Amino acid sequence: MSTIAVAKKDFRDAVRSRLLIGLTALFALFTVGGAALASWASELFSEGGGDSTVGLILALQTPAGFLVPVIALIVGYGAIAGERESGSLKFLLGLPHRRRDVVLGKVLGRTGVVAVSILIGFAVGLVGLVAFVGEVSPVDYLAFTLVTVGFGFVYVCLGVGISAMTRSTTKAAVGAIGLVVLFWFLWGTITQGLLYALEGEFLPETFPGWYLALNAIPPDAAYGSAIGAVLGESGFTTAGSLESQGLVESVPLVAEPWFGFVILAVWALLPLALGLWRFERADL
Amino acid sequence: MSAIDISDVTKRYGTETALDGLSLTVERGEIYGFLGPNGAGKSTTINLLLDFIRPTAGEVRVFDLDAQANALEIRQRTGILPEGVELYERLTGRQHVEFAIESKGADDDPDELIERVGLSPDAAAKKAGGYSKGMAQRLTFATALVGEPDLLILDEPSTGLDPNGARRMREIIREERDRGATVFFSSHVLGQVEAVCDRVGILRDGELIAEDTVEGLRDSMPDQTRLRVTLDRIPDDSDAALAAVEAIDGVSSVTPEGRTLVVACEDRAKTEVLHVVEEYGVTVEDFETDESSLEDLFVAYTAGADGGREVVR
Repeated sequence: MSTIAVAKKDFRDAVRSRLLIGLTALFALFTVGGAALASWASELFSEGGGDSTVGLILALQTPAGFLVPVIALIVGYGAIAGERESGSLKFLLGLPHRRRDVVLGKVLGRTGVVAVSILIGFAVGLVGLVAFVGEVSPVDYLAFTLVTVGFGFVYVCLGVGISAMTRSTTKAAVGAIGLVVLFWFLWGTITQGLLYALEGEFLPETFPGWYLALNAIPPDAAYGSAIGAVLGESGFTTAGSLESQGLVESVPLVAEPWFGFVILAVWALLPLALGLWRFERADL
Repeated sequence: MSAIDISDVTKRYGTETALDGLSLTVERGEIYGFLGPNGAGKSTTINLLLDFIRPTAGEVRVFDLDAQANALEIRQRTGILPEGVELYERLTGRQHVEFAIESKGADDDPDELIERVGLSPDAAAKKAGGYSKGMAQRLTFATALVGEPDLLILDEPSTGLDPNGARRMREIIREERDRGATVFFSSHVLGQVEAVCDRVGILRDGELIAEDTVEGLRDSMPDQTRLRVTLDRIPDDSDAALAAVEAIDGVSSVTPEGRTLVVACEDRAKTEVLHVVEEYGVTVEDFETDESSLEDLFVAYTAGADGGREVVR
């Protein structure tokens, strides 16, 4: 009850942010661009008709994969630290809310905000797809949207979790940027480095299971896995695309597409639990 | 049963001691003025009551409930005006009040509360980002009144208010007390406290150095008076005259007001003051003594007596 009250208030407050409106517009622009790209690609790969799945990937997954984490982290990193810094947290916690109500309410409210941004971006993308490609499977489209909202939720949890651990928005921002650097750049580099160290080459004849598993762990890879699972396509994951090229002996459990949902759940709950634990014990 | 019971509470931040063995009791239905200069530990005490921070040692109880374990129930029954109010810029004033009503599960009419604190309906419909300090203070006060709380905790409530706003706030504080609520309010502005409080506690450097009714505090320093000496003219060497009066044992301050000297001093120093003034070639036309204001008491308590007075109860 209390969580919902906080979530509603937070949604109202955060959805009016100019920055969010700007990011949503940018997102919509990218999905339209993606749709145009999809139409060009479908002409390239197939005669007439157009491939609805390729269209979805280009029009929706590519921009969402980059912009949803950015939007969610921007929306999330100040959620708690910002209110601690400004002092408005004392207004919020002066009312009968538990600290955990505040954290969970923030996660819900800001996920709502990110969901609005995604829905707007995808709606514009859908218009683009229909205009450029001509046909889209509504079931695939809906599944795609739901998984992407879930992906947004995971990054909101990461952002709010970091935000709950510190009283400084600067530190929270550094943490959020650190996450992006880790998941987008460092993780892949380290995995590649390990591969070279253990196998002696960057392109072995078959890729070992641990490599595939490590590659599947970042939330962005898990998002790809989860989409692969709901669309029944294997091309969305590293393991899947390597497998299709015959470079994999066996795919480990962690790299199975459905396991992406498990990984996403862990990435949502872990930072949240850590953030709550720190925040419950902190002096405001 | 008391509304607030703080016993032997110490709060340290690293090596810094914000509160040092503070004990303080606020009875139900009274208006308690919590006085002290900035940095004395007033906000720290209030933050402990609300479980915003946790004590290093000692026990904090509100309505006979543990401040930490029962924080939710305490806040359900308490209205809070935190220090340096910060609002949600993108929400309107009315939305803030609505949120407080929803959070407390109360059934107040937001417009009534807004009117009661003297915020105009037009202002309440605007986003709080554009509010002045005084408007923000009024709005937060309205949210504190939601749900007829048993306890009102007001941290520096008069900050940013114009005289009308401050008067209105005092009226509401009295109305709330008459309804049966306990009011705990901190201030470094003494006029506010003197006018409205049943009891006053003075905090300095994390310790309660005095606690009594306003009358009681005055009585506890019976020798402290304010002497107004009217002269026939301003002495030729007025600076030297002022310095000489200031140097008298028992005098704590001297303020010239034209031909009148206002001297805060102990009773025993009065005659000496008149003698010294006349040594500068002027005639005392008239003199009177008034009861010391709380301001004088405050200065005497918080600055005058280093080395510590006993706590007066």
